[in-house]
Amino acid sequence: MSNESTQTHQVEHHFVDAEHQFDTAKMGMWVFIVNEILFFGGLFCAYIIYRTWYPDLFQEAALQLDTLWGAVNTVVLIGSSLTVAMAIRSVQKNQIKGLKINLLITIALACIFMVIKAFEYFHKFELGIFPGSYYTYAGIEHAQAPIFFSIYYMLTGVHALHVLIGIGLIYWIYRRASKGEFSSEYYTPVEITGLYWHLVDLIWIFLFPLLYLIE
Amino acid sequence: MTSPTQHEHHGHHISTAGQLWAVGIALVFLTIVTVILGKFVAIPAPFDIITALSIAVIKASLVAAFFMNLYWDVKFNTILLITAIVFFLLMISVTLLDTLYRNDVIPTF
Amino acid sequence: MATAEVPKKRKLKVKRFKPVDNPKHTYLTDEKGLWAWMTTVDHKKIGLMFLGATAFFFLLGGILALLLRTELLTPAKTFVEADTYNQLFTLHGAIMVFFVIIPAIPSGLGNFILPMQLGAKDVAFPRLNLASFYIYVVGAIFTFIALASNGLDTGWTFYTPYSSTDSTSSVIWVTMGIFILGFSSILTGTNFITTIHKLRAPGITWGKLPLNLWAIYATSVIQVLATPILAITLLLLTMERFMGIGIFDPAMGGDPVLFQHFFWFYSHPAVYIMIVPGFGIISEVITTFSKKHIFGYWAVAFSSLAIAFIGFLVWGHHMFVSGQSPVATTVFSFLTFLVGIPTGIKVLNWVATLYKGSIDMKTPMIYVYSFLFLFSIGGFTGIMVGALSADVHLHDTYYVVAHFHYVMMGGTIIALLAGLHYWWPKMTGRMYNEFLGKIAAGFIFIGFNLTFLPQFIMGSMGMPRRYYNYIDQFTIFHQTSTIGSYIIGMGFLLIAYYLAKSLFRDGERAPANPWGSRGLEWQATSPPDLHNFDHIPVVINGPYYYHKPMEEFQLGLVDFHGAEVEESEKEVDMSDEKEWVNYNLD
Repeated sequence: MSNESTQTHQVEHHFVDAEHQFDTAKMGMWVFIVNEILFFGGLFCAYIIYRTWYPDLFQEAALQLDTLWGAVNTVVLIGSSLTVAMAIRSVQKNQIKGLKINLLITIALACIFMVIKAFEYFHKFELGIFPGSYYTYAGIEHAQAPIFFSIYYMLTGVHALHVLIGIGLIYWIYRRASKGEFSSEYYTPVEITGLYWHLVDLIWIFLFPLLYLIE
Repeated sequence: MTSPTQHEHHGHHISTAGQLWAVGIALVFLTIVTVILGKFVAIPAPFDIITALSIAVIKASLVAAFFMNLYWDVKFNTILLITAIVFFLLMISVTLLDTLYRNDVIPTF
Repeated sequence: MATAEVPKKRKLKVKRFKPVDNPKHTYLTDEKGLWAWMTTVDHKKIGLMFLGATAFFFLLGGILALLLRTELLTPAKTFVEADTYNQLFTLHGAIMVFFVIIPAIPSGLGNFILPMQLGAKDVAFPRLNLASFYIYVVGAIFTFIALASNGLDTGWTFYTPYSSTDSTSSVIWVTMGIFILGFSSILTGTNFITTIHKLRAPGITWGKLPLNLWAIYATSVIQVLATPILAITLLLLTMERFMGIGIFDPAMGGDPVLFQHFFWFYSHPAVYIMIVPGFGIISEVITTFSKKHIFGYWAVAFSSLAIAFIGFLVWGHHMFVSGQSPVATTVFSFLTFLVGIPTGIKVLNWVATLYKGSIDMKTPMIYVYSFLFLFSIGGFTGIMVGALSADVHLHDTYYVVAHFHYVMMGGTIIALLAGLHYWWPKMTGRMYNEFLGKIAAGFIFIGFNLTFLPQFIMGSMGMPRRYYNYIDQFTIFHQTSTIGSYIIGMGFLLIAYYLAKSLFRDGERAPANPWGSRGLEWQATSPPDLHNFDHIPVVINGPYYYHKPMEEFQLGLVDFHGAEVEESEKEVDMSDEKEWVNYNLD
């Protein structure tokens, strides 16, 4: 990476100019997003198959999930998507302070999401709803109840892992922004991280109704 | 537009703050609609799932088009997203050809 | 793409850039030393590191094969116990599939050649490329840890419930190792797709793309779409073993067939990841050594994409007898027949390319002929096991084993050998011993058929696969097969010998273009410069236009300091103008 000011970020030797490099990076990120969609897709597939086999189980077990807090988390993530989009807008207009503030708010919202998630998980653990063979909750009659919660934990767990990674990435971008590495001339890493974060939001947009709104 | 290079069609689109907030508010609104329809309005199956997923698709499209800027981006990136969805749907539908049409769902022991 | 429109042409100022023989500065001389290699972002070095790593694993997998074939010399125990035998065939399969065949051509040869065929100076994301390599290494380390502890005995397919519940081998180490390895594959695919879209030299429209790159493009699409499913499958299997999740466990109400769906949703497209790059190589070699344009360029190009797409819809043909619904089995069988059609188109087009060509029977071309013969048998027998009624009898027999070795080894490995020998002068700047090359090709061809033809017969007679013991009527087949495997081994040792000699004992220096190919990679020096080309190449002819003189293939933009004189204007097809708008062409 260049140590100079933001104005002349180095264009790598195999690109013609900065624009070429930016467009290529964006396309590469979209290809990676395709990969992530298929990754979660496998889990959604398992969900769909078991829901078609055991619709009653899903109805009954979903009552253990708190719709209100799920909805709150949805709004929190939407908020964080908005702030990361605002962050990119700030850097496009060369407003580095705005960039940093928006990144921090995004991180804060993401942390709120994780805290709410943690409370949800602990509440379940208190009832004995653990994943897999550690499941001890007797409140649901259905024989396949552990499977519902296994799918729940896998879906939300893998998603939460992506949120954590996202927090790390956004914080790293914040640090680099503090060192003056970004400007309206060069903000590719901000754009790429923003795309990643929106993907995390996209996944949750589908997770929420499928898990929390089964009535 | 403050595009840094001379190439017009490569200029980066910058949304206004108003546009972004509008999308954000629309998303929150749709979330509330989903919850109300899901919890407080009795819709017969399978339409309840269809409604919930349709709203989710609209929300996702808003995020993809206006937060991820696909609306103003090179068409190919949108094709990438659609391709991912198509293959995901193929995976589910062909697997369901098996799981929905078995004689015994799972062999019992 | 394939349109009837007149291509948009524009006049560009070009100069002739003839590559010199015996270049002083190459990618090998400019970055020297172990540290330079380990931290390189040069796609050429990364490609060679992948080739070296896959060669090492090929040796390991090959030794395992020889061991298990030796055990099968006699019906009862020959020299190992049954449990050890399970480990031998499992590890042979897992190592060959995941560490050799999937990465070797795309990440190995592909990495080296792709930017050069595009006229680019590197792939789109060079650091990601290096990361791909190190991720591969980490995945390998996990597998070694597994080897050192309890090994793996589940079969390379990890079927539940044995892998999730009953096996005491180091399943989690291997599944996590392969999980990590999957990212290497995904990142390579991401890199290649982006590179082919964004880093083409002016004039390389989609219609002028070498077929090797169409093949790599199709392969990369499969890698990006299918590998994540493998990742999630292995993650679920690990969680099942680690925490008793139960999605695949019938005792907990789960479905073991679901594991097979998830596993094969990746693993069937994976076999196309294995073979399609090989198809690309065959197209390159066959045109060069027939000095002829490929027969049916667009048919071959689109067939790669068709195989990639249809290949995603046939995975259930691995599960005909597993308890799948009759609806699904019928659909899968029909689609399996369909996927044979684009493959057949390729084979017929290659043979048609030979017709009235000026055939030069060098070693790469011998491998191409081997490929045509062996892969046809492999592909054809694939259709035979794809027939639902036949598969009920043939599933899990040696017939299947023979089928997939004919396609994976008789197809991919032979194509890899063809590509290795074809591009050896370009990569190393040296020639190999042509006479020994032909001898080794003969050993491999004969040994291969001796090993696997009897397996077709045994399989149809009912000999099951993965069995440690067998009844006496199969002894002669097994023994023939084992002898064949030793002959294959000798062939590969011979190859290793003369290639090492070419590298380390001053093999004959190679000219820039020893085969007279019209490909763009041959218009660079042998070995290439660190930045491949010191000018921006301009392409006015397709890569198989053997009727055009060589001078028309050695052109570049005038702006750059270059080699030769003769500035002139040429008409260039600019239909993909938007991709080159940054080049400031005027």
